[in-house]
Amino acid sequence: MKRSWRGVILLCIVLFLNIICTQKAVNAYYFEHYRSVIMYALFNILLFPAAYLIYRRERDVR
Amino acid sequence: MDKDQDQEVQCAECVKQKHIQNLQQKQQRKNDQIPFEENNYTHNIRKGDERLLDRRAFMKTMVGAAGVFAVSTLPWGALAVKGLAGGGHQDDPPLRITDIADLPVGEAAKFAYPGKHDSALLIRLSENEYKAYQNACTHLKCPVFWSKEKDELVCPCHHGAFDARTGKPTAGPPQRPLPEVLLRQEGGAVYATGVKHYET
Repeated sequence: MKRSWRGVILLCIVLFLNIICTQKAVNAYYFEHYRSVIMYALFNILLFPAAYLIYRRERDVR
Repeated sequence: MDKDQDQEVQCAECVKQKHIQNLQQKQQRKNDQIPFEENNYTHNIRKGDERLLDRRAFMKTMVGAAGVFAVSTLPWGALAVKGLAGGGHQDDPPLRITDIADLPVGEAAKFAYPGKHDSALLIRLSENEYKAYQNACTHLKCPVFWSKEKDELVCPCHHGAFDARTGKPTAGPPQRPLPEVLLRQEGGAVYATGVKHYET
């Protein structure tokens, strides 16, 4: 039973980026930088499949 | 010849039986051993709960959280698209807040501007200095109140504080300044004329 923490660490980084992007998006909205809001929101959405892929790769390691 | 064969068969039977007995005894001994031999290294996990948050469950939780964050930014994105499509700001109609005579120095008056749910505070800082802010805390929208003793706007929810002269946060979790309401004095009364947009 080989144990790898790579996936856990990568997912922690993804979640950290998620938190930062959400915070930045909300702040940018109030500062009326709408283009930045859309960029952060898109990045946040893209992070979800990334997280899922990381999970899948870790799960399928034999 | 036949007898020999019979004896051989019987012996073979004996050997087989002995072997089975041996095996059973061995198995017995093996089963009596503590800890019980297993090959999945989990025999020492006694509580079901210990397996609820193993590495894989933790990773699943993280992926779920990433999904929640992704969904939570969607409304902001939609609002931003709406803001981009809507273009510039529309001017809000002026609103009479209060008579100057009714507001002593160091006191504050509550009003709502521009919408009837956008609560705001007008503060008379000195004889001729008025400041007004929308008083929803920029952290989590708790109502901020004017503290004359502390000479600042205080948010009771998470002990945030804002400078009454600039609206900028001075303590606690809020990061953005309070939106300032533009004022005009006319005929012994104070009017709100618009909301100042953030300058960055």
